[in-house]
Order: sequence, then C-alpha cells, then structure tokens
Amino acid sequence: MTAARAVRSLAGEVPLAEAADKADFETLVREHQAMVFSIACHFFHNEALAEEVAQEVFLQLYKNLERIESPAHVGFWLRRTTSHRCIDHLRRSSARHEVQLERLPEIPESPEAGDPLLRERLRRLVASLPEKPRMVVLLRFGEDLDAEDIGRVLKMPVRTVWSHLYRGLAMLREKAPRYLKEEAR
Amino acid sequence: MSRLEDELRQALRRREPPAGFAERVMARARAREREQRRPRWLGWRWLAAATAVVVVAAGLHFMEERRRRLEGERAKEQVMLALELTGAKLILAEQRVQQVIGFSLALPN
Repeated sequence: MTAARAVRSLAGEVPLAEAADKADFETLVREHQAMVFSIACHFFHNEALAEEVAQEVFLQLYKNLERIESPAHVGFWLRRTTSHRCIDHLRRSSARHEVQLERLPEIPESPEAGDPLLRERLRRLVASLPEKPRMVVLLRFGEDLDAEDIGRVLKMPVRTVWSHLYRGLAMLREKAPRYLKEEAR
Repeated sequence: MSRLEDELRQALRRREPPAGFAERVMARARAREREQRRPRWLGWRWLAAATAVVVVAAGLHFMEERRRRLEGERAKEQVMLALELTGAKLILAEQRVQQVIGFSLALPN
C-alpha cells in the first residue's frame, strides 16, 4: 500500500484499495501543521529548530501512515510524536537550547493584561522549564488537553502529569510578575 | 482559573509555521520516496561484485606468490646440487693430482 493511498483511506475519502495522489498527504500536513509547529516552537522558543522538528514529525507520519487507524488518530499520533521528538531533541542537545531560568530578566510589573511583551516573556519562561513540566504546561495551556489526555500523549500516569503541572506552574510563578500570581476574580 | 493560567493560554496559542512549510515537507517526502524506490538489490549486487573481484585478485596474488616461492626453492636446490657436484669433482681432481705427484716422486732419476 502506498503512503498516499493510506492517507486518503484514513481521511475517509476513498476505500483502501483505490489509488490516490500525494495531494491528500499535503492536505493532512496543512491541516495539522499549526499544531505540530506550535508545540515545537513554544517548546524550543526557536522557529528554525521548531520547523526542523515539525518537518521530521511529518516525514515520520508519511513513513508510518499504515499504522494510522482513523482521522482522529492522526491528531493524537502527531501530538505524541511531536512531544517525544521535542523532549528527545532537547535531551540530546540540552546545552545548546536550554534557557536557564535564573538568567532571564524579571518580568516588569506591568498591570496590562495581554501585553505582547509580557506574553513573549511568558513564552521564554515556559521554554526555560525542565523538559517534562514544560511539555505538560504546553499541552495543558497551548493545546487545552486535560491531564488524562496529556498522560496518554506523554505515556505517563495522570498523577505524574499533575505533579509536572504543579511543578511547572510553581516555577513560572516564581518569576512571574506579582499581578499574575493573584487569582482571577 | 488564575491570571497566570489565563495569560499562559494567550501566550501559548497556536502559531502558523513559516510560509512554504507544507511544500518543504512534501519535497522532502518525495525525495525520501524516490530514495526508497531505488532497488536495494542494486546496492547488494555492487557489493557482491566488488567482493568477488577482491577475492579473485587476492587468490591470483596468492597463487603467483606460491609459484614464485616454489621456483625459488627449485633454483636453490639446483644451485646446491651444482655446488655439491662441483665439490665432488674438485675432490676427485685433487686426488688425481696427488696421485700424479706421488707417482712422479717415486720414479728413480
């Protein structure tokens, strides 16, 4: 079975046996590229590296299309593969990409919510977290997944997900400006 | 929900990749497919042919070396035989000379 045939099949367009062209895979890439790229981009806080990782993820999908069971499975598979690839990449080259939290400047006590500078600082803070809390925070707030889904994506127990989430948020609160530490009313 | 969590949601919103991302992925996928389509046995055939050439060359080299060594040993044997023969002839000649000298000394003047 060719890759393109499998893509059309998983998209539910044609039966498995019918021939198809590469446009289907391209459709799949376009449909999920923002999700894959965003996870990698927020994880590394580096666009070039994020694109490299995202491309590798899609090439891996192309190679493993036969294992994809349904259109819904594509999203899950891509999220899981992207998360694991990001963490593996960081472990292999931690010296190059990890931002030390202590070296980041304090976020100014700006009272304006939605300030682009504040958001950029928050993204940098997230990218400075250790790999697992970082990915958990990303999947929770970037992808809006609940703890169970995060556990399935990262292959870890729900308790561990909560532990990483609390740890990540605690580290972020340490550096966050005071007004962000207050509970919303 | 805390304000930090709210700001995190805003900060970590999805982003579109740089323009041409999908095209670049497709180009790499096509290149990879072309690579996979190339018959693998071709590589194995070249490897087998190269191995055969090396084995034959090594065999010929070994046989040539063996032939030279045998020739050398044969030549050495011949030289040794020639030397032995020459030595034996010299001894005979010396004995003859001794006999002739002894005979002439024994003759009355």
